[in-house]
Amino acid sequence: MSRDLAAERARARRRAAWKRRGLVLGFMSPWLAGFTVFFGYPLLATAYYSFTHYDLLSSPRWVGLANYEYLFETDGRIWPSVANTLWLIAVAVPLNVLFAFGIALMLSRARRGVGFFRTVFYLPALVPPVAATLGFVYLLNPATGPVNIVLRALGLPDPLWFDSPTWSKPSLVLLGIWGVGNMMIIFLAAIVDVPRQLYESASLDGAGPLRRLRYVTLPSISPVILFAVVIGVIEGLQYFTQAYVASTIAGGSAAAATEGANSLGYPGDSTLFYPILLYQQGFRYFNMGYASAMAMLLLVVSFVVTALIVRNSRRWVHYQGAPAR
Amino acid sequence: MRRAMAISIAVLATLALGACGGGDDSSKDTANQGSPSSGGGEPVDLTFWTGFTQRELKVIKKVVGEFESAHPNIHVKVVGGIDDDKIIASIRGGNAPDVAHSFTSDNTGAFCPSGAWIDLAPYMQRDGISDDIFPEAPRNYTQFEGKRCALPMLADVYGLYYNQAMFDKAGLSGPPKTMSELMEYAKKLTVRNSDGSLKVVGIDPMDGFYENAAAHWGPSWGADWIDESGKSSFASDPGWAEMLQWQKELIDFYGHEDLVRWQAAAGDEFSPSNAFEREKAAMNLDGEWRVAFINDETPDLEYGTAPMPVDDDQPDLYGSGYTTGNIVGIPKTSEDQDEAWELLKYLTTDDHALAALANGILNVPTTKTSLESDELDLDPKFRVFLDIFAHPETRTTPITVAGSANQEIFDAFVTKYQSGKVDDLQGGLAEADEQVDAQLANAGGGDVP
Amino acid sequence: MTTAATPLAAAAAPVARRRPPRPVRRRRALMAIAEHSLLIAAAIAFLAPLVFIALTSLMTDDQALSPDLWPHPAQWDNFAEVFRQAPLARYALNTFIYAGLATVFMLVSSIPVAYALARLRWRGRHAVFLIVLVAMMLPPQVTVVPVYVMWAKLHLVGSLWPLILPNLLGDAFSIFLLRQFFLTIPEEYLDAARVDGCGELRILTTVVVRLAKPAIAAVGLFMFLYCFNDFFGPLLYTGESPEHWTVAVGLAQFRTLYQVHWNLTMAATLLVIAPVIVLFFLAQRVFVEGVTLTGVKG
Repeated sequence: MSRDLAAERARARRRAAWKRRGLVLGFMSPWLAGFTVFFGYPLLATAYYSFTHYDLLSSPRWVGLANYEYLFETDGRIWPSVANTLWLIAVAVPLNVLFAFGIALMLSRARRGVGFFRTVFYLPALVPPVAATLGFVYLLNPATGPVNIVLRALGLPDPLWFDSPTWSKPSLVLLGIWGVGNMMIIFLAAIVDVPRQLYESASLDGAGPLRRLRYVTLPSISPVILFAVVIGVIEGLQYFTQAYVASTIAGGSAAAATEGANSLGYPGDSTLFYPILLYQQGFRYFNMGYASAMAMLLLVVSFVVTALIVRNSRRWVHYQGAPAR
Repeated sequence: MRRAMAISIAVLATLALGACGGGDDSSKDTANQGSPSSGGGEPVDLTFWTGFTQRELKVIKKVVGEFESAHPNIHVKVVGGIDDDKIIASIRGGNAPDVAHSFTSDNTGAFCPSGAWIDLAPYMQRDGISDDIFPEAPRNYTQFEGKRCALPMLADVYGLYYNQAMFDKAGLSGPPKTMSELMEYAKKLTVRNSDGSLKVVGIDPMDGFYENAAAHWGPSWGADWIDESGKSSFASDPGWAEMLQWQKELIDFYGHEDLVRWQAAAGDEFSPSNAFEREKAAMNLDGEWRVAFINDETPDLEYGTAPMPVDDDQPDLYGSGYTTGNIVGIPKTSEDQDEAWELLKYLTTDDHALAALANGILNVPTTKTSLESDELDLDPKFRVFLDIFAHPETRTTPITVAGSANQEIFDAFVTKYQSGKVDDLQGGLAEADEQVDAQLANAGGGDVP
Repeated sequence: MTTAATPLAAAAAPVARRRPPRPVRRRRALMAIAEHSLLIAAAIAFLAPLVFIALTSLMTDDQALSPDLWPHPAQWDNFAEVFRQAPLARYALNTFIYAGLATVFMLVSSIPVAYALARLRWRGRHAVFLIVLVAMMLPPQVTVVPVYVMWAKLHLVGSLWPLILPNLLGDAFSIFLLRQFFLTIPEEYLDAARVDGCGELRILTTVVVRLAKPAIAAVGLFMFLYCFNDFFGPLLYTGESPEHWTVAVGLAQFRTLYQVHWNLTMAATLLVIAPVIVLFFLAQRVFVEGVTLTGVKG
């Protein structure tokens, strides 16, 4: 008698379990489909292309490891492009985080006009990247741009900005800092969320503003800093639009139309970032197989770098009672 | 910030200074001169994509209209403002035109071997057209490794434009013929503002400015891109090193930074604020089309045209220059290939059509017979370019499988050298050779050398 | 966020009420002034580009290239000229269709997924969440070409559908955000509903959605903005069909073959930014809360 009951219950439980799985599958189905179609399949396809010669006009032709050999051993432009991307990450990410945090900090302590200031700093982040880049190329024109006009009027040196190999990347960094509004708001919310008591007990312990910053504020918002750094690095690894727009506008004249010669990386390969080179190989040189190999490398590096950052972060990131994950 | 990770590969990077129309050139129907289908064949609709816009587009449309009256059953829709990216994308996307026109021959090496543009040899044979009705250079840049998938339609030729008024004022007679003369004139004609910045530049040799590219200046020293074995020859051909040193000397005379500043204030090449047209540059290397632009925009300008000066040690080169051209072909996805061929044949081999195009757009017509045509009604300043085109030493860039990779790689090196960042010129040239060879090998799908 | 309740706080309260001594007050005042000045300086630096863009949009083409900083006379007509040169209204319509549909599709598909990841119990949900994160990290270059080829075979290239339809299958970033928010919904609410006999779907649509309104609003807003600013997506798929261009593409193509009219380009830029700015002022709250959701709960 009881065995039947137990069996009955077991069956009911299994039915429930299946029902639950069905439910979950149902809820997850959009993502599952999307994942397969837009992630899984393209990833596999690109991996496949990386072993082929593919000019996008005819079918891919298997070439084995030739692309990877070229990538790792012979292509003389890979290393400069990697260096450029690394430089950008090493410079832009800290600066962006610094500015976002710094402005947020000041905003959190300001008494008046917080709403106004917050709007001012956030607005530039709303500008479409293409428009923002065009704007900056115009503003930083070495001869007629307003920035240099003002600099000259003040007797300060007026660099060549986007037309100089030394200043082209810093110009892009400036453009990036201008758009730091999103990150700034996140920092602001996090800073404001730090419990007052922590500050009070710290100051009672004799900590001045600097030490409070170092021992209360920074640790408390460290998850946000981590987030900003990871996002910044990922964006840096994929940096394309702004460099593309800036180098073609600043470097080319409409002559590019007649000759097809592009000025990507202008001036002198200083803005040739890894994604730009990838694009050039795949879409200008009809070398999509090689570009796919480059893309695979980029993928691996993205994972590794992110994993490294996250792992390293355990040392300095403090989660306050993180909710159950 | 979210998704500031932009989707970065644009098949159509028409943001680039690639020929992107301001949206005003997508087709209207061409001027249909005859009444529809007065006989012969089923009516066929062709699409013809071209890079021309505005004034030049009107000329094309007129010529196409004449084709339509000769073939009443064929109706052609002309779309302007097209660049190679669009053509390639359309072939992939399956909505390519029936006839495509490109401003550059750089991508022939991709169109032909892949079959993206169909092989024209069968049609040519059927209609008895041999490819030596074209001069050598255009014949070469419309085919790759024996496969001919395009025909030339109008060519571009480069020469020297000089401001006659400034010459007179400085007491200079006639255009310079050697590179040392050019250097001397350039220095003499340069004018500075009171604050030391450049006001008028003799001639700007900086790579990337307007039409300056290694390919266009190289012919003055007879420099070749590849040697007999097909390998890149930047280091082995002495012309390149001489060109670079000559250019650097002049740039250093102006001051590299000062020149960049002057360039930044120079107007867009194809705008009415063009530096030569606005008399900010005393001389300029430019293509034959500039004559039409000047006539249109600054007809009062006193100027002259001449072949580019040449290396003092190679006076026989004088009169030659650089040429490249527009090419026309039939994408493989066209469903009306026979009719498309008729249009293509008309545009590229009919002397009358070529003369009309040449007269209207002031580009160089590309068949030997059209060069002699009586119909050519040309400004004497333009005739200079016809002569350059016909000169046996006139050069063009080799077609590669990787589009313009060789040019871009080399031009990047030239820019670096001109800004003073290269200490070892010969070593740098050799490196550029290696890069180009490796790139072409890889892009060709072979093993890395 | 936790609140650290320290016994010291209570004892400290009366102390904090007394006015601090003069030197401390002065130092604090000086610091406040210094910070405010810094803030003002930074604000000027951040506003300056926009101001210059606005000034340039009122210049003539020649003036835009000259050293003049102030337009005279102001060419208000430039804005009308932009509309004459480019059918901005058409582009705006396209953009709204694209952004609107994409947002709706995204919400419909992503909310269930996020809910399943956050609140349903099943084996492997943690692993799947990691995979969602990984998908966010994916460089777009890796997937663009095969996906493009796929759409080309379906003959949908030339329209905006390749950009709209994928949202029916969820969007990694939105799923991530929503999941983070759903995690903060107390289990009690859901259990109460379950006890009442509601199936999970009912729970989702009645309880959860109502509670998550701010998050949903934020996610929807972000998606809308993203589509509005999206450049390469529309360029890739509609580049050859000007009648389908969005505002972003139209702005970039605003230059003619021959030259950039900087004054008109800047005017067009302003016109493009304007609706976004208006939207921001109207929905500031949603913006700020939404942006907060991305980072702080992570």
